[in-house]
Amino acid sequence: MSRFLFGQRLAMKITSRHLREGYNGLFKSQLLTTNLIKHKNQIQTGIPNITNVALDAVPTTGNLTLRYDAVVRQDLSGLYGDIRKCLSETQATLVPITQYYFDGEGKAIRPVITMCLAKAINYHLNVTSPYAFCLFCFHLIIYVIDYITICSFNKIRSVVEKQKKVAQIVEMIHTASLVHDDVIDAADSRRNKSSVNMVWGQKKSVVAGDFIVGRSLELSAKIQNQEVINLIAKIVSDLVSGELMQLDGSANAEERFQHYMEKTFKKTASLIANGCQAVSVLAGANSTVQTVAFQFGRQLGMTFQLVDDMLDFVSTSAQLGKPAAADLRLGLATAPVLFAAQKFPELNQLILRRFNKPGDVETAFDLVHRSDGLEKTKELAGQYCDDAVTQLAQLSPSPYQQVLFTLTHELLDRLK
Amino acid sequence: MVSRNGLIHWKTLHLDCIRFTNPISFTFSRGFSVSSQICQNNWVKAVSNAEKVVGFPTSFLSLRSVANDEISNIAVYLKKLIGTGHPLIATAKSLVYSNDKTHQTRGLLVLLVSKAAKIDQTQDIMPEQRTLAEITELVHTAHLIHTGVINLNTPNVNLEMGNKMAVLCGDFFLAHSCVQLASLQNIKVVELIAQAITDFSTAEFIDIVANENDSALDRWSYQSKLRYGTLLAHACQSSLILGDNVELVEFGKSFGLEIALAWQANNEIQSYKNTSKKADHVLFKLFPAETPINEVISNFQAVRDKHVDAALKILGEFPKNDANLALCNIARALKY
Repeated sequence: MSRFLFGQRLAMKITSRHLREGYNGLFKSQLLTTNLIKHKNQIQTGIPNITNVALDAVPTTGNLTLRYDAVVRQDLSGLYGDIRKCLSETQATLVPITQYYFDGEGKAIRPVITMCLAKAINYHLNVTSPYAFCLFCFHLIIYVIDYITICSFNKIRSVVEKQKKVAQIVEMIHTASLVHDDVIDAADSRRNKSSVNMVWGQKKSVVAGDFIVGRSLELSAKIQNQEVINLIAKIVSDLVSGELMQLDGSANAEERFQHYMEKTFKKTASLIANGCQAVSVLAGANSTVQTVAFQFGRQLGMTFQLVDDMLDFVSTSAQLGKPAAADLRLGLATAPVLFAAQKFPELNQLILRRFNKPGDVETAFDLVHRSDGLEKTKELAGQYCDDAVTQLAQLSPSPYQQVLFTLTHELLDRLK
Repeated sequence: MVSRNGLIHWKTLHLDCIRFTNPISFTFSRGFSVSSQICQNNWVKAVSNAEKVVGFPTSFLSLRSVANDEISNIAVYLKKLIGTGHPLIATAKSLVYSNDKTHQTRGLLVLLVSKAAKIDQTQDIMPEQRTLAEITELVHTAHLIHTGVINLNTPNVNLEMGNKMAVLCGDFFLAHSCVQLASLQNIKVVELIAQAITDFSTAEFIDIVANENDSALDRWSYQSKLRYGTLLAHACQSSLILGDNVELVEFGKSFGLEIALAWQANNEIQSYKNTSKKADHVLFKLFPAETPINEVISNFQAVRDKHVDAALKILGEFPKNDANLALCNIARALKY
């Protein structure tokens, strides 16, 4: 049995290495060079036009959306419906505000990751646990006794139901943070429509955000698991302290990158990491598997945000559903700028004054494109992506794991 | 050391607040401000005595727990807001500086209820119950701060900054209370406090306009119940759950609701008496337009007294002790 598993692991390792190198090859040969050529053109023209640099650089990966959709579609088909239902039992005037961003237009990437990982972990625990194996043999022998099968089936189903609730909570907390972020940043659009504060005003939007948080907490209490509640509390506190860290750009240039990475973990990765850990807790995972789940979520979350920060410089506003170079306009120095500052130290002055002088945003944008900031950001994202794959490879091979492998790489190479 | 620094930040902030008095006045009916001199003596006496019963003053209750690095960061930004007239400053000021004992009394009530329920009075209030009292304050403060966000139709750099800080401060208090709540290790309590959060958020969307089923007064009761009642009711209920006072849990819940409504009613009366624009006040909308001012007040005093009496009646179910007496005195002080 263990030899068989070892063989499987080895096969997985080889596959993952292959995937990684495949990606690296793609990275070096196509994406990098194309980007560099584009940049040279831009230097020549001298106009940092905010265009889609990477659009033709990345080959289309086929319709992968369909593939992961098929695996967890059953579990996620009701997600938005459940969320809307959860938010609808209240004052009629509040309902449209809270449901505004749950219109199905979002990528819903967080619940997809959470559910896929939940399934991968459930599968892993059923395959590897000796108890489950014995139970399986036992079932084979006396499978005629229906009720045992039904009982265990019900047990599995109730676990999956609870995991679905976690996926729902993760998406709800994320959306509540979007609503509050839009008020904080005085944003006027998101996902190609007016932001919630533009439609209903700041006060109602903020209170509606609180309402969503309240409902998420109620929902987490319904799961009836103290550990899950702890993890969700951690998510909420990390989100807020990440937002607070964003206020305070660390003055010291050396500490700045560390500060940025910590902020990125708290604002983005913590939600996915703790969400992944929560579903593994519900699956009955031991601390080793829980760590795998957490680390996978963390690495994937970091990949996701680093790519996001890079796309802010290369995608058009239409693709992003929000204005391009939005981070610079908000005074935020993300990874591409921080990397660029290594080559152009004059950027440090701009970072310190949060790009608030006229022309600062354009200068910074130009310098980022003239440096290797974007490539280095992508490289860093690639490293996190590899780490996520390594974590994932520790689970038993399953269709869900395959979907996550694909998804991880897809997140790295996405355009929006 | 870090927390000491945070505290210093808050204190300097509070000094600045006093020095620069606000040039622009905003009319917001915010929280509890019993400003009438006559009642103040009774009230301060009742609260001060109550503080002795539970063992420590409740002012700084929430700040002590959050005076750390993160919040000191916000304090720096808050200083810049002084003079912009953003309601956040008034809320921050009242948190740090309140000598009329009208703020942070929710935590005190929770502690008193915890103490009053103990048959053996030598038993101390449990650390979990003290944490719960803090959570109650934190959640309420977050609510106050978030409802102080201003709608801006035209860009205004200063007020936008104020809104940004208000959202962040409120979120910070909420997040901190989430962590504290999880640390209580009681799922029922998490659920109850979460319901309080959804309820006060819902309250902002309720209009006080009579419809076919409810009078305006019913709507006021409903809104106040959601806005202030659920939090105090569920907090009192939770503290009795944590203290394992099974037979008193429901009484605790009703007491919390009644005292919150009595308190809010009294508050409305005081602000109605003090305001120069009576027609804009919520009480004006509750009674027919031609009702004289004195009649509005006496009608509404009847509403308040009804809740005070209900609260006092429920206290009769609790063991007779100092904490119970302190609660009775606070309730009576509302009805002077």
